[in-house]
Amino acid sequence: MVDDAGPVDTSSLTPADELQRPPAEVRFADELRRLRQDDTDPVPPGWALSLTAARRFVMGDAKAGVSPKFVGDTALVERALVTLATQRGLLLIGEPGTAKSLLSELLAAAVSGDSTLTIQGGAATTEDQIKYSWNYALLVAEGPSRRALVPAPMLRGMSEGKTVRFEEITRCPLEVQDGVLSLLSERAVAIPELGAPDAMTFARQGFAVIATANTRDRGVNEMSAALKRRFSFETVFPIADPVVELDLVERESTRLLERSGVTRPVPRDLLEVLVTTFRELRTGTTSRGESLDSMSTVLSTAEAVSVAHAVGLRGWYLRQGASDGVDFVECLAGTAAKDNPDDMARLRRYFDHHGRRSGPAWRSVYAARHRLG
Amino acid sequence: MSSPVTYVGVRHHSPACARYVQQVIRALRPAWVLVEGPSDVNDQIDGLLADHQLPIAVFSSFTSDDGVVRSWAPLCEYSPEWVALRTGRQVRAQLRFIDLPAWHRALHGRENRYSDADTRYARALDTLSRELSIDTPDALWDHLFEIAEPHDLGQRLDTYFDLLRGDAEADEHDTAREEYMAQWVAAAVARDDGPVVVVTGGFHRAALVRLAGQGGEACWPTVPPAPTDVHGNRATSYLVPYSFRRLDAFTGYQSGMPSPAYYQDVWDVGAQVAADRLVERVASRLRGARQQVSTANLVAARTTTAGLAMLRGHQVPTRGDVLDALASTLVTEALDVPLPWASRGTLRAGTDPVVVEMVAALSGDRVGRLAPGTTLPALVGAAVGAWRDQGLDTVGPVKLELRCDIARSRVCHQARVLGVPRFTWCSGPLLGSDPSAETLDEVWDVDGPLVGGEPAQDVLVALIEAGTYGHDLLAAATAALEERLGQTAPATVLVDAVLIGAQSLTGSLLTRLGACVGHLTNVAETGQMLAVALMLWRYGDQYGVRDSAALEALVDQTAGRLVWLVEGVRGGPGPADPQRLAAVVALRDATRLRTANAPLRAEVVASMGRLANDRAVPPDLRGAGLGVLVSLGEHSTDPVTTLRAMAGPTTAGDWLAGLFAVARDDVADLLLDELDHVLAGYDPHQFLTALPALRGAFAYLPPRERARIAEQLMAVRGLVGSGRAFLRLHTDPAQAAAGAELEERVGRVLVDAGLWEPR
Repeated sequence: MVDDAGPVDTSSLTPADELQRPPAEVRFADELRRLRQDDTDPVPPGWALSLTAARRFVMGDAKAGVSPKFVGDTALVERALVTLATQRGLLLIGEPGTAKSLLSELLAAAVSGDSTLTIQGGAATTEDQIKYSWNYALLVAEGPSRRALVPAPMLRGMSEGKTVRFEEITRCPLEVQDGVLSLLSERAVAIPELGAPDAMTFARQGFAVIATANTRDRGVNEMSAALKRRFSFETVFPIADPVVELDLVERESTRLLERSGVTRPVPRDLLEVLVTTFRELRTGTTSRGESLDSMSTVLSTAEAVSVAHAVGLRGWYLRQGASDGVDFVECLAGTAAKDNPDDMARLRRYFDHHGRRSGPAWRSVYAARHRLG
Repeated sequence: MSSPVTYVGVRHHSPACARYVQQVIRALRPAWVLVEGPSDVNDQIDGLLADHQLPIAVFSSFTSDDGVVRSWAPLCEYSPEWVALRTGRQVRAQLRFIDLPAWHRALHGRENRYSDADTRYARALDTLSRELSIDTPDALWDHLFEIAEPHDLGQRLDTYFDLLRGDAEADEHDTAREEYMAQWVAAAVARDDGPVVVVTGGFHRAALVRLAGQGGEACWPTVPPAPTDVHGNRATSYLVPYSFRRLDAFTGYQSGMPSPAYYQDVWDVGAQVAADRLVERVASRLRGARQQVSTANLVAARTTTAGLAMLRGHQVPTRGDVLDALASTLVTEALDVPLPWASRGTLRAGTDPVVVEMVAALSGDRVGRLAPGTTLPALVGAAVGAWRDQGLDTVGPVKLELRCDIARSRVCHQARVLGVPRFTWCSGPLLGSDPSAETLDEVWDVDGPLVGGEPAQDVLVALIEAGTYGHDLLAAATAALEERLGQTAPATVLVDAVLIGAQSLTGSLLTRLGACVGHLTNVAETGQMLAVALMLWRYGDQYGVRDSAALEALVDQTAGRLVWLVEGVRGGPGPADPQRLAAVVALRDATRLRTANAPLRAEVVASMGRLANDRAVPPDLRGAGLGVLVSLGEHSTDPVTTLRAMAGPTTAGDWLAGLFAVARDDVADLLLDELDHVLAGYDPHQFLTALPALRGAFAYLPPRERARIAEQLMAVRGLVGSGRAFLRLHTDPAQAAAGAELEERVGRVLVDAGLWEPR
């Protein structure tokens, strides 16, 4: 029976180091356990941790040996946690690559100890994947029964009192989005095929929904006003502090390069050019306060990490040497500008007019700018 | 034996500190209350404590070598400095301001005396914020002091400020101010009248305590004398009305305590009621702006506020808790820019309208008013003097010849810029007119600004309002122009700056003009700015700005921006845009005239080269790009070859328009044969398509030039006659087109009937 399922037993899962990307509750199982042990603050009904412990899990706590996981405003995480505790839906919205999904995973792991009840939104998402479907062999053999029912994340989240993650909700067709509406307001799923008393499953304490949406999808499947009202909107922004962003790009790209067998990280001054370029084109303002046209391609921190990774690989495998301006420009053309000729022209124009800056890294990038075509 | 001293370190505009100051003074009943503030207004303290409606400010303005300097010391009801003065008066203490006057070099560059030293605390604040999981110093301050229990507030404030000071560097300016303040303290102590209370910014407290150990002289320190400007006017300080809007950090006030209306409530009724009122105020404001705020929203906002306060360990919700809760419940769209209270600084463009209303509700619209009988701002006297000196105390038209009457013209323009009534500009050079022209007369209609030697009532009102801008007409007009930047085209501001007086072309106005230029996005507007700046720099003799270094820098900066903007224009064939072509002409002139700026030339040549050859650029700009290269003698491609490439009927005319606009003298003859050849190759339909643009292009040539070309073309065809007469069309163009069409139809009928064979 679904209703009998207790908290996820992480020990039964495959050991974390054998998985490509274990879920947050497995990756940080030790931290979660310690936070639970030391938690003295009141825990909301159905939650695995108190709000303060959940905040420390997400933002980190050096003294307690909890690693920082999300780089962003504490206030945002606090608002998100209070939203979930007051039984409203949480919608994390923002540009691609701003760690919305990571944040939603961390919040789910902190609140419910389980981040795996996930619906991946898309054009082909149907209500079956959200609420429930049937094991047709059993359905034909036995008729509608609890045994024949295959619960989808929403039904499981409600019956187990857990957080459900709905990724990219605005990519779903409107009728599917509206299906979520009644779940959020009634806090119950009707299964009319089963007779009473199983025909209704009511949400247990702890049930919450964290949706994510991409601002680039704005207007594709615009959410209805009714659904908007049921969500608290939290916009996740790119990292505000340039030094923090540079550190993150350096750390992550070095880690990725090591996994790709490259022992020579990208020089920091070249990464600084990368991060500055991304930030200036993202915000449409140079560090001297002049305005630029921003690119249509997403220039997120995640994208910067991936460009830095590519730059490091190129320098290493082509020349067994340190990466330079040529690697940078080539990778930028391929990764950041993609195949959009307007963006390529914007990038070229940016380096033509604003690329002449001091320092060897800027000079080598400026010299290589003609490779942008 | 000397009197005991109590040092109270405060954060400016903090109700918690104000309450603490009040408590200390009431308890100690000191003989002296010494307050951080300009010591030159010590003789005006009675006037300061008159029945004003706050906020007001002590304002100092004067002209120094760096231009006009303005400085405010704003006071509101919950300012610790104000409360110290009021409470000190109640307990019959002697009151003194003990800081250096605004004209001392230690305060240079500081428009607001009470701007917090938070930037210097950055590192310590970061550590502390991280430790407590709080994002901003404002939220940290509220958490630690505004809503905390008041019982040991003094001790906690001292610890906090000592910790911050321990980590920050005091610069020579701080040291000078602290030494000066310490002298006042030492003198008060040496009088031995009773306890002394010293109220200063928390940053200075530790230094004052340290300096107190070194003793000092018993007599009051002297107030550094006020500087005089070239006209012999001495700098003064006086009271001006202030407003909550100007106090608010979100609108640019650098003091750091944002949301004055909210903190006024905290002062009046306490943090809990202030939080409740905040929700009500935001809701009614949003409803007034026809935004939907349901009861359910308000319930959710209250619940979320309580939840956030609990999570953050607050007994009473702070400003941040309420704002966060309101944002969480009322915002139903993705935000384009982060919430304004998540960082410091002014409200950014693109802030969600709901959030803008929230911030406005917290800011409030209270405006201060001075008590009747308060000394008038210095501007009033200065204006009366200037008008009298310049003979402008008159009724009727005033005709000025700019070569000799420039001073009078400036005074009139200063009045115009400040919106003083009774000065009406009738004619004369303004934006867009050529300052090198022969006629440099200006006519004003002056309608008796002075009545019996005193300003007329409407003039007086305008002058008092403008008194917050500066101490004399020039300073005030400069400041008013500065404020206009961003709303008015920068070219207009530049021309006005020149018209009100040349020396205003230094300092912050010019810096801000430069910053404005960096944000221009419109090619035409930037081109106009460049043309104006270039013309003033080259020909502005009678305004005294010819070859001015400041203008030169502005020309370079604007030209740099314009290159960037021009290269960003994309688009297929379309009608030539005369405004953007004028911008390219200005760019050409700037490149030619600024011979000393080699990088500009290199950048223009590279950029125009790309422009001329880029298929994605509209034809007029491609032509103009080539024109710049030709006129600079830097072209590598032959214009004739390029004409062949651009010879299509939808592109030829516009391309030529761009080329002629920029370099007609260099190319018109060169292209004539090829152009004739191209046009001869068009069929009638193609010709009609190309005609309007071609006419537009040839409009860039003067009539005499067109006549000469016409004669050349006639000669090629073996015709003789007047080119001028040939160009004059005697028939209606529509009729001529109808005739041509009829001729073509007849031709087709003849061909079909085998009666005629076209050659």
